[in-house]
Amino acid sequence: MSALLQIEDLRVTFNTRYGPVTALDSVSLSVNAGETLGVVGESGCGKSITALSVMGLIPSPPGKIAGGAIRLAGEDLTQASEARMRALRGAEMAMIFQEPMTSLNPVFTVGDQIAEAIMLHQKVSADQAFRDAVALLDRVGIPSPDRRARDYPHQLSGGMRQRVMIAMAVSCRPRVLIADEPTTALDVTVQAQIFDLLNEIQRDFGAAIILITHDMGAISEMADRVAVMYAGRVIEQGRADDVLDLPQHPYTRGLISCIPALGKGEDTLREIPGVVPPLHMLGAGCAFADRCAHRAPRCDSEKPLLQAHGHHPVACHAVAEGRI
Amino acid sequence: MTPSYLLRRLFYGLLLMLGVVVLNFLLIRLAPGDPAVVIAGEMGGADEALLAAIRADYGLDKPVLTQLGIYIGNVLQGDLGQSFFFNQPVATLIGDRIGPTILLVLCAQVISILLGVFLGVIAARKPNGVLSGFVSVFATIGYAVPVFWTGIMLIILFASVFPIFPVEGMQSVRLRDAGFMIRALDVAHHLVLPAFTLALIYLAQYARLSRASMLEVLGSDYIRTARAKGASERSVLFKHALRNASLPILTVAGLQFGNLISGALLVETVFNWPGMGRLAFDSILRRDYPTIMGVLFFASAMVVVANLLTDLSYRLADPRLRGKS
Ligand SMILES: Nc1ncnc2c1ncn2[C@@H]1O[C@H](COP(=O)(O)OP(=O)(O)OP(=O)(O)O)[C@@H](O)[C@H]1O
Ligand code: SF4
Ligand SMILES: [Mg+2]
Repeated sequence: MSALLQIEDLRVTFNTRYGPVTALDSVSLSVNAGETLGVVGESGCGKSITALSVMGLIPSPPGKIAGGAIRLAGEDLTQASEARMRALRGAEMAMIFQEPMTSLNPVFTVGDQIAEAIMLHQKVSADQAFRDAVALLDRVGIPSPDRRARDYPHQLSGGMRQRVMIAMAVSCRPRVLIADEPTTALDVTVQAQIFDLLNEIQRDFGAAIILITHDMGAISEMADRVAVMYAGRVIEQGRADDVLDLPQHPYTRGLISCIPALGKGEDTLREIPGVVPPLHMLGAGCAFADRCAHRAPRCDSEKPLLQAHGHHPVACHAVAEGRI
Repeated sequence: MTPSYLLRRLFYGLLLMLGVVVLNFLLIRLAPGDPAVVIAGEMGGADEALLAAIRADYGLDKPVLTQLGIYIGNVLQGDLGQSFFFNQPVATLIGDRIGPTILLVLCAQVISILLGVFLGVIAARKPNGVLSGFVSVFATIGYAVPVFWTGIMLIILFASVFPIFPVEGMQSVRLRDAGFMIRALDVAHHLVLPAFTLALIYLAQYARLSRASMLEVLGSDYIRTARAKGASERSVLFKHALRNASLPILTVAGLQFGNLISGALLVETVFNWPGMGRLAFDSILRRDYPTIMGVLFFASAMVVVANLLTDLSYRLADPRLRGKS
């Protein structure tokens, strides 16, 4: 049985002033109904681009899907017409963005913005849509929802706005919900509330969730499976428990050892030394080589491919050769 | 938008008008030339006795500050003085001509905003497309070409090549006694060329401004949200983006209003439109000081009112400004 959403060998390129760069390369991911797929990786590794590809919202130009397929219940979205994509967006698949402060239109009330999403896909009156919007605001835990529905975004806090975004995203009960770092811009206490809300909504609606984050703690609480991305590729993928407990790729190991142990405070937070190379500087070898303690000559000349090893697939020569 | 805010804006508007009156008066009085000589000239000759009589008659023999006080007092009572040339109250002269000027200015403003914004929005859809390039070129030309030149070119074009629009005046003599609808259509027909001439410069500017403003707004996160909902391209452009992009356009529209009025004075002269422009032009040539001051007064009042309206509409368009002062 194939998954509800299946990304196969996705390749996305951007035209930049350095010439065309490959932002995503051979990305394959899948997620089933009722399941949460975590996608982790450092800033710039292609998480948002992956999500936007699914939604058909890659800014084009300069970006384009240069290869691969994205199948939603078998239908290849990369081949779908713009009209078909409009019908799917917001209805079958919805997205919560990374930037709650700027993702709502400042000149319309939040109630109207949710009601619009409802009316785009359901044949209901404007009044009914607004009442539904109020009910959704109530559902996502906004106090005095009928008054709040008449507020403009600037009258709400960041956490409130993200709740509004969630209400809007689930308004048509999408089958796939993509949450792109839904909490990065928010307070720690609010973060936990938002994750709880996403969990509840998944239970209620049975949606498949793709949770993008660089918070390994959130992954361990939320995700059934996890994909680790680095410089536009998936470098390790598996059940969340397996990947978290037995990370194989040197980058994943680094990520996990960076999680601050509970109760020890901020100063124990470590970082993997070095930075992700910019896309136009990617060479023929492993993109992580400059930061890797297990680097061997082969790593500079040959890209490691995702291969089953141990519990789950990983893309690293050292792992494949049994060196680590 | 509280009543107290409105009152305060109104109060500042009045204060500004008072400043305008004082400044007008002083500027005119400081300009070289003796009004009494001008008036005497109109009467056909001047000896010292006549000049003295005229000075006494018009209060010109009093100290300038006293004259200013008297003038302000009169203006407050709605008396703008007596025209040296027409020998009629300035208020009456202006009252007869302000209607056509307001009509011309408002039409030009509406045409330039509607058409300019429409062109700008379409150009922003494809920033590298042909239309976008056309808008940029057109905007540069429209901005650079003087309004009287455009007017004269249009007159040449429509007077001899395509005689479909009248190039002179506001009404046809033969229709003067026709019914209201016919006369209104006749005025509209006469309005086409002057209004377009005046609209042209600003139209180009609005097109360029809204193109830039739309491009900026179209890159924002909430536009992506609108697309993620499944909104159509038309709704994204005209509902989600334009409402936000219109804020800088409104600001400029308010600021441009003053220029539009001075442009109208030129266009009126070119097209022989019976508004304040020709009155201003004629009174400057004739040094008809009370009339010049009256025209300046009304033109400033129109700008003050326009700015007030802009400010209010800005607050209506942008919910973030409501309730603030
Ligand atoms: N419009 C664009 N033009 C050129 N390159 C782009 C564009 N948008 C994204 N990219 C490139 O694609 C890569 C992936 O970007 P993406 O936004 O997916 O990162 P991310 O993993 O979501 O990072 P973050 O955690 O910071 O959100 C980046 O390296 C970026 O340089
Ligand atoms: S392929 Fe080589 S450089 Fe890359 S992570 Fe594995 S060992 Fe390190
Ligand atoms: Mg991102």
